[in-house]
This record gives sequence, structure tokens and C-alpha cells, in this order.
Amino acid sequence: MGRERRDDETLPGSLQSLRGEYEGVRELSRTRRMDMPQAQVRMNVRKVGEKAAIIDIEGELTAFAEGVLMDAYNQASEGGAGVFILNFEGLEYMNSSGIGLLVTLLIRINREKQKLLTYGLSDHYRNIFQITRLDDAISIYNTEEDAVQAASVL
Amino acid sequence: MTEQPPQPGGKREEERRPRDADFWAKRVERLEVSDVPTGAINLNVQGRHEVGALQGFGPLWQKTYWVPLTGVGVTPTEVVRVWKEHFPEFHPPQNRFYPSLAGVQPGEVLLINASMRGMPVYTGVRVIYADEESFTVMTAEGLPEAGWNTFSAYTDDDGHTVAQVQSLARANDPIYEIGFRIVGSTEQERIWTHVLKSLAAHFGVNEPVRLEKACVDPKVQWSQAKNVWYNASIRSVFYTMAVPLRRIGVLIRRRNS
Repeated sequence: MGRERRDDETLPGSLQSLRGEYEGVRELSRTRRMDMPQAQVRMNVRKVGEKAAIIDIEGELTAFAEGVLMDAYNQASEGGAGVFILNFEGLEYMNSSGIGLLVTLLIRINREKQKLLTYGLSDHYRNIFQITRLDDAISIYNTEEDAVQAASVL
Repeated sequence: MTEQPPQPGGKREEERRPRDADFWAKRVERLEVSDVPTGAINLNVQGRHEVGALQGFGPLWQKTYWVPLTGVGVTPTEVVRVWKEHFPEFHPPQNRFYPSLAGVQPGEVLLINASMRGMPVYTGVRVIYADEESFTVMTAEGLPEAGWNTFSAYTDDDGHTVAQVQSLARANDPIYEIGFRIVGSTEQERIWTHVLKSLAAHFGVNEPVRLEKACVDPKVQWSQAKNVWYNASIRSVFYTMAVPLRRIGVLIRRRNS
């Protein structure tokens, strides 16, 4: 990290510089992943109240789902959401790369001072959250109603 | 974090078994080493927790190393099968892995006896996920990194099989973070480059290994500085220094018996 004086937009670690760096990395990753098979996932964004959005995940959460997940996040974020609720009821398959995606999403959400909640995890996927210790950082609810109610008080 | 307990008798209990059910390890409270391979030192693993990328100290890095296996007609499944079977052989001599008898399977612990610039590091990882085209290990408390390494192979649009190592991890504690900033990061990159070169050479391929790295989270997690208590490098040094004392103890016990 350099020591030269720069304005806030380009100081290492500033939100703007990180956003630019992240976008640059995304572009690199997207370019490389154009060589890789397409994602087998669909995501739908629903606005809930004034500040929450639900992202319904249907299909497979693997590395190939990165673009779809980030697009859904961007769509929800641009709609004014500050709390994001991932609905896993339609999740059919997840490998370890899918966990990595959730971690990077969580980091990005935390960086923006937003919140991430989840519901709809089966016992199997709840177990995976525990194995990977994602449950240390992401709240898990049983139903959409519970998650939405929790979001309303954040 | 808030976690509501699952509702009994609800919809989830009626769901069919997920396709990935057999690929994931079972949850364990603490790591257990059931059998220690010959020559391996089992230290800093038994009884430890697993730690992921959210439990480490330093900035979070995602590093992706890959090598295209051009000119050979080998499938991703075959690459990963060979990788699992010969996993220790592809590592440099200063970074020795000791799989259990069951090998690279979900739930199995791999002991690591490594040397970082002459400093011993005895630790381990657990296989948390393994399918036909990838496997992922999660780190034990005290290992230099906290996170996951995924080893995989896939077919790109040109029809080439590509072998890949992807790391998503933080330095586990402040001492490791300093070490990574000085020399550790370069050493680590050399190790994974060596692994992929060795794997490629197994298939008769001599292609350069490419690396793409990104700082996913530059924030240091000061709340995790306490991880230094489990620093495997420090504990390994003390263990090594105590070898003469242990030998004296053995001699005394033999003499007394």
C-alpha cells in the first residue's frame, strides 16, 4: 500500500478504490469464466418493505453462479435495499465454491454497511453452514416471515 | 449470529436427498486424527476447531492458480482422480502432506509437516468437500491461513482441461500476517505453482502456471488477534526444541524399567 498522498477516491482501502479494484477483478474473472460452463441457477429479486429485498435462489450454487448472484445483489441494492435476504428453498445443489461466493457476497455487504440474512435452508445446507462456520456471520431463519420481521428491525 | 432451530416435522424432513449430500463432510465439533501415517507428526490438529475465511485475522485474499493441460486428452474427472491419489507427491519436499488411510475423502484429516524458511510447522486440514471434479480442504486452528483451498479441474470452451487451485483465506493471526507480508505470500505462491506444475508434468504437460489474485477484504479482523494462542509455527518450534528432552525422558524410563 503506497504512502503517496491521494484523494479519498483512490486511497488504498477506500470504498471507491476497492469498488474499482473489485470491478476490475470481476471483469478478469468474468473473462476467464467465459471459458467455463454456464451457471445452472436462476435468481429473482423481490422488494420487501422499504429497505429489504429477498433474492430467491433456484438451482445450483457453484462458482459459475457468481455473475448471476452479483447481478441480483446489484439489482436489489440499486432498488434501495440495505438488508438482503437469501431464500434457499429452491437450492438444489451447492459445492464448496458456492460457499466461497457467499463469503465474498457477505464481505461486500458488510463493506457497504448492509446486512445479510437467510431462510429456507434444509437440514443438509444448514449443516454445511455450520461446517464452514458461515453461521458465525450470517443469521439463519426458518421462514420468510421470520426473516422479513428480523430485517424490519435492523 | 441468530439461528432459529429447524422446525421438526416440517417440509424439510420430507425433502429428497440433495445431489451433493455425499460430497460434504459431516459436521464435527473438533478435529480427530484416527490414524497417524508413518513418518507424520500429529501436532496442532487433534482437538482443534476448523477455521474458515471469516475466522482469520488478516485481509482476505482470493488466489486462483491454473494450468491448461493442453495436448493431452484427459478429462477433469481423471485429473482430479489422479490428484487425490497422488496428492502428497505433487507437493514440494518442504511442504509434506500425509493423508489418512482413507485418502482424500470428505471428513478425512490430512496432516501437514512443513518447513517455512527453516521453521517447522506441524498442522493439518480437513477435507470438507470432494466430488469427481474437485475437493476442498478447510484449515485447522493455528495453521498459517484460515480458509479454504479448492483443487479442481474443468473443461474450457476450447476443449482443454484446466487444473486449478483456488485459495480463499486470511492470515490466521498477526504473526502470520507479518510473515506473509515479508516472505510468506511468495513462498505460498511458489508451493501452489509447484503443485500444478507437478500435476501437469504427470500428464506430460509443461505449461506455465497462471495466477490471479484479489484482495476481497482488506480489513484486518483485530478481534481474531487472539488466534496467536494456537499459532502452529510457534508451537512446532517449541515441540522441536523439546526433542532432546523427550529423548532423555525415554532413556530414563528405559533405565528405570
